[in-house]
Amino acid sequence: MTIIFIILSITALTGAISAIFLKNLIYAVYSLLLLFVAIAGIFLMLMAEFLAVVQILVYLGAIGILVLFGVMMTRNISGASSERILSRGWFFGLVISVLMLFGVLIPGLAFSELSSSPAVETITPSVKEIGIQLMHLNTPALWLTAVLLTAALIGAVVVAVPRNYSSKLFLTYKLENKNKSSK
Amino acid sequence: MIPLEYILLLSAMLFTVGLVGVLTRKHAIIVLISVEIMLNAANLNFIAFWRYNPSPDLHMGTMFSLFAIAVAGAEVTVGLALVIAIYRHYQTLDTEALNRLKE
Repeated sequence: MTIIFIILSITALTGAISAIFLKNLIYAVYSLLLLFVAIAGIFLMLMAEFLAVVQILVYLGAIGILVLFGVMMTRNISGASSERILSRGWFFGLVISVLMLFGVLIPGLAFSELSSSPAVETITPSVKEIGIQLMHLNTPALWLTAVLLTAALIGAVVVAVPRNYSSKLFLTYKLENKNKSSK
Repeated sequence: MIPLEYILLLSAMLFTVGLVGVLTRKHAIIVLISVEIMLNAANLNFIAFWRYNPSPDLHMGTMFSLFAIAVAGAEVTVGLALVIAIYRHYQTLDTEALNRLKE
């Protein structure tokens, strides 16, 4: 059990680090997908099988492909070989992140009293229970999520469609309406 | 069973890697990818605490993670739309070159 966890964590960390530091964007997205698969495996180990399936469906199937398409829509995937990939203040960013890890997160872990074994040994996997919870206590959140996704969809289309193209669409729409009303 | 600290340590490391990506890289799509890594680390924390708490039948951690995944999907969609719009306008995705507000 622990060996599988260690293998999965090493896979996840490798995927994350290479996603950050690879120069070629396509390879970066592929190693991000590796991270998603490893996280789904850890979800399975923690008996959250529904979350693992959702992770694979949404992250690999939707977000990964979406980012790949985003890379495809923009040119200059790998950049000039002499061009630097780090931003100007990268050293301060690195220092802040390392301080965050070793100054906040790891001391917080070390000084907290966590139970090392789960309180309930086995969980019977149940999608039905998740559905009941979604429809019972969390229904307002579900509605709000639906509104949020609709707003994100409309907003993405409005932002991504070129301005002259959208105004052309709008003009033809107005002209058609005018023709209809004049008839 | 794995101790809870191991999972939290992995999640802390993933979060730090994401933070390094946001703070040091200058390509806009890589910054989006780093935000995704940080969101995944947070989801891992939710699921770990859900698994180790005394009443996992309430599925609170699962619910939080589900909604976090939905919000992450919305965020990536709008972020990539913005990236495409920025690329069309400036012909670059270098976050250092986008300094119109500074001038």
